[in-house]
Amino acid sequence: MTVSLKDLDDAQFAQRYGADRFTATVLSSRMRYIVQHMCTGLLNNAFSLILRDWYDFAATISGPPEQNYPMSSVSNSLAMFLGTMSEAVRNTIEEYGPENLRPGDVVICNDPYRAGNHVNDICFIRPVFAEGCIISFVTLRAHQLDMGGVVPAGFSGTKRNVYENGLVIAPTLLYRDDKPIKSAFNLIFDNARYCALLLPDIKTIYANLLLGEQLIQESVQRYGVEAYLGAIRYSTDVSAEAMSTALAELPDGVYEAEEGIDCDGVDDSVEYRIKVRITKAGPRMELDFSGTSPQARTSINAGILDTKTAVGVALKFLIDPATPFTSGAYRDIDIVLPAGTFISATPPDGAVFLYWESTGPVLLAVFRALEKALGRKAVGGDYGSLNIHNANGVLDDGTPWVTTAQCGGEHGPWGATEAGDADSYSVVYQANNLDPATEAIESELPAVVLRKEYVPDSSGAGTNRGGAAVLKDTLYLTAAEHWSSPLHTKSPSGLGVYGGRSGALGATWLFPAEDRDVVRTRELLPTSDDVYAGATPVAGMLDPETKCVDPAGEYFYFASTPVWHTTPHAVFRYLTNGGGGWGNPLDRDPERVKRDVRDEYVTVEGAYRDYGVVITGDPRTDPEGLRVDEEATRRRRAELAAQ
Amino acid sequence: MPREDVSEEDLRALGVNLARDFPGSTAADFRRYPVLSEGGWFTVVKHQKTLESVAREPGPLLGPIALASDGLDVN
Repeated sequence: MTVSLKDLDDAQFAQRYGADRFTATVLSSRMRYIVQHMCTGLLNNAFSLILRDWYDFAATISGPPEQNYPMSSVSNSLAMFLGTMSEAVRNTIEEYGPENLRPGDVVICNDPYRAGNHVNDICFIRPVFAEGCIISFVTLRAHQLDMGGVVPAGFSGTKRNVYENGLVIAPTLLYRDDKPIKSAFNLIFDNARYCALLLPDIKTIYANLLLGEQLIQESVQRYGVEAYLGAIRYSTDVSAEAMSTALAELPDGVYEAEEGIDCDGVDDSVEYRIKVRITKAGPRMELDFSGTSPQARTSINAGILDTKTAVGVALKFLIDPATPFTSGAYRDIDIVLPAGTFISATPPDGAVFLYWESTGPVLLAVFRALEKALGRKAVGGDYGSLNIHNANGVLDDGTPWVTTAQCGGEHGPWGATEAGDADSYSVVYQANNLDPATEAIESELPAVVLRKEYVPDSSGAGTNRGGAAVLKDTLYLTAAEHWSSPLHTKSPSGLGVYGGRSGALGATWLFPAEDRDVVRTRELLPTSDDVYAGATPVAGMLDPETKCVDPAGEYFYFASTPVWHTTPHAVFRYLTNGGGGWGNPLDRDPERVKRDVRDEYVTVEGAYRDYGVVITGDPRTDPEGLRVDEEATRRRRAELAAQ
Repeated sequence: MPREDVSEEDLRALGVNLARDFPGSTAADFRRYPVLSEGGWFTVVKHQKTLESVAREPGPLLGPIALASDGLDVN
């Protein structure tokens, strides 16, 4: 029988971890401080918008080969990286050869199949030595603005294989004896766009690897190698025990679910489906993804390690949200996943780029499968797709510009929980990023963000309400080419739970200047239904005549035009999906519904239809004069409850 | 993902005493297959009802992934 960590006596603890309990705890906390400090250093000094404005990076500390590279600490940043990085370090260093490393080295790798994520996300790995041996690796994985391939900046679901996708770097030495290896740098710079921006960012990344190394060395000098290595094991054991305890509290059983995405970048003839069968027995869990659709024909695929991340993030969200994440979280979790599905793509045809679009449904499938087992602890689904917009063009003076993940529908709502209503403006569950400031976008790009606003009645109704869908309009001042990637519009991603309802469907439209020139007319695009008839649908379930969102309408396919070429003054409109509700909407306090009407999350009509709450007054002209008609509400709720 | 049958001889070789360790179970309750978990890929022999592994052998570094460069000898 395994003894709980808290039940170990002092002697047992010291024997197992080479330090007393206090020292091991201090070192574990210090490792988390170190990775956070590395991230702060990068954030404060990065030039690239994807690092500076999005926080598209993460730092980790891993143990030595003799310990099988346990990942003992991760930064509080992009969660999509965290589950991949333990394998990324092991696979990179084992292929390069740990015996070939020496102090002053940095090794890089960006191969999705070896290291997870996509080619722009380079892992920069530095070995840390003490007493002549490797005791750790500090790693920064950071998105590079461009990594070659046929699409500037890369964000597209239309690339057909690894050759179109971008530069793949097998484990490669970037620094030796703390000196840059010019040929390795030039491998990147001769294949990637915007090298002048990449160079200072890579130098900053390197500087923050040095910082991480220095802080580890200081820890070792103070507490000794044995205590440091013991603290790595202790950190992962704490994580493993917390997840195991959380698993034990779930009812045993077999839970199944399906989720999916709309299509790939060739046509809309194939809808990609994830099948998951979760078996839970005591403190152990197995997730079997057999039966999942084959890999896609274009770059909407995810790699196996991305699926591993989605599983870990889902379970942390649902059952073990309070303890730090390490590689130990997976100790009692086995993932069964054949190669060659769209969440386990293989080279050279299974191009991986928009990996989170495919693993987001993995997370939602786990949410859906475990909903009944969780009961009140179930969590509603989020807006499901980053709806990433990638565009580029040239200024009048010939200067090239690129925007990526700034002007699409990248931010939106989450699902509600037992604790309360959901946030309406975040990033998908697997991310933990910043929102690029409108001022930063408009100062650097020939683009104007015309609107960012919530859409009434788009939230999943519930005792606790899902987040509201976000509507965002962006005007482009120059001619441009665009790649738009909304991949979850056919069915709601904002899963309603515990009796709550699912959120509304989103969509994307292009308004060419020939249809409505907002610069010439000096009027914003309206949000009323009549505005859509002249628009060009980009993606969504739409009425074929009015082009308004209609769940029973026609599916418009995101890559029907793989590259959208626009003249100056074109506007893209993104509408995200709504977040899922939690609990029966008829149990929501009518005063909370009234507040939602006042704040325009819910209309007077929506309050009546979805919540059975009768509200009098006008939220626009007299928001504080709204009243709940209690008697009419009682009758309406009784009527709805009887249906 | 195919799960291979496991024989009583296989289990004995792994030190499993069915009567003692899994009373009421037979070899038919066990399967061998690859999994991804903490520490990377493993080939497990696992009791399907309790999910208890009686063997966990490290698998290939990249599991079922075959790189385009696999099999090419640069030496």
